[in-house]
Amino acid sequence: MVQKVIPIPRINDGRADFATLFAIWSQANDYFEDVRFDFSGCWFLRPNAVAFLGGLARLIESRLGTVEFDWTSLQDQRVMTNICQNGFAGTFGHPTPAWTGNSIPYREDRTRDVGGIMDYLEQYWLGRSWVQVSKRLRDAIVGHVWEIYNNAFEHSGSQIGVFTCGQHFPRKYNEILVLSVVDFGQGIPAKIRGFFRQHADEALVSQLTGASCLRWAFQAGNTTKVDEPGGSGLDLLKEFIRVNQGKLEIYSNDGYAIVDQDGERYENRDISFEGTVVHITLRCDEKLYRFRDEA
Amino acid sequence: MKLSIKDQIGPRCIIKEDGQKIYDEIYKPLKSGENVSLDFNGVSQFASPFFNFAIGQLLKDIPEADLRRLLQIENLNETGRLVVERVIENAAKYHGDKDFRKIVDDILEQQAKELN
Repeated sequence: MVQKVIPIPRINDGRADFATLFAIWSQANDYFEDVRFDFSGCWFLRPNAVAFLGGLARLIESRLGTVEFDWTSLQDQRVMTNICQNGFAGTFGHPTPAWTGNSIPYREDRTRDVGGIMDYLEQYWLGRSWVQVSKRLRDAIVGHVWEIYNNAFEHSGSQIGVFTCGQHFPRKYNEILVLSVVDFGQGIPAKIRGFFRQHADEALVSQLTGASCLRWAFQAGNTTKVDEPGGSGLDLLKEFIRVNQGKLEIYSNDGYAIVDQDGERYENRDISFEGTVVHITLRCDEKLYRFRDEA
Repeated sequence: MKLSIKDQIGPRCIIKEDGQKIYDEIYKPLKSGENVSLDFNGVSQFASPFFNFAIGQLLKDIPEADLRRLLQIENLNETGRLVVERVIENAAKYHGDKDFRKIVDDILEQQAKELN
């Protein structure tokens, strides 16, 4: 079988970069396909791309295809050092093992490993000396971020699990911490349309856009669960992010949601992909954070 | 009846399975009108799946006013209080009747307005 070569370009974390990732997913979305990722044009790779490509590789493997990360094609030493250090390259065939430095490890969770995920968030993402936050705030943040993982495992139906990578950006005046959590499950709009199909006419449900579905999912009390209460997780997360001047972005199927200090917006996207990416950005300054009793 | 959540669950109250354990302990006493106290001393991390199961499900059979009268929550930090209050608000909505056909119509109406 002929191996399909997919070039990996420079990938940042803007909307156009996510469109690039979804186009790569689309190219690799056939069954029984053998894929080689070529990094000769890559001189910048953000953690959202790392988590996404790792998950995509597992998706291809789950469909009985093979994946080769052609590390010899990667010429940029900073990118190489970063993905060796965070364990991504080592996970996919590079001989260099990960080491503890200033990177946040790449992580795969095939199943819901509560202790492992919470320890990762506490110790490797937030708990490093770069983020000066109190234990109270750290506990609040990891509890809210757990809602993302809980949603992914409860709702996505992903057979290959959840993929995570993060990064700390030590800028002098705007120090930030990012985390990307990716699954290749059915996606939030697809899940919501499927839920409404049980109660309303297909002709109406099929008109629901990705943006409308995400808006519904973000409203307090809305849930697709039929035998248990829910609908608080995304609502609590978005409130926490907004109050604390962070940013929450969700790409899921054909929908896009962004929550930041300007409010929340929902958009439809031209490129749809099967799955969900949650990308959060937090400011690393305890002075910016407020609890409700301090508001 | 008084339960130490840290002894029963540990310092993280984030998953539904742990919430179900608490629900199983407190449902019958509350249903029969007994006072129940949940002590969260030593618990530091909270998420909605735990409270959906521990407390949100109670509202299916126990009116909110009765639950608030019978259930005392002690030593719950500010983050935990925020989560449990949101869960109670949402569970009350959840257990009400919903007309999903109308919900779909409302979403489509809002969608049409945005396109115009």
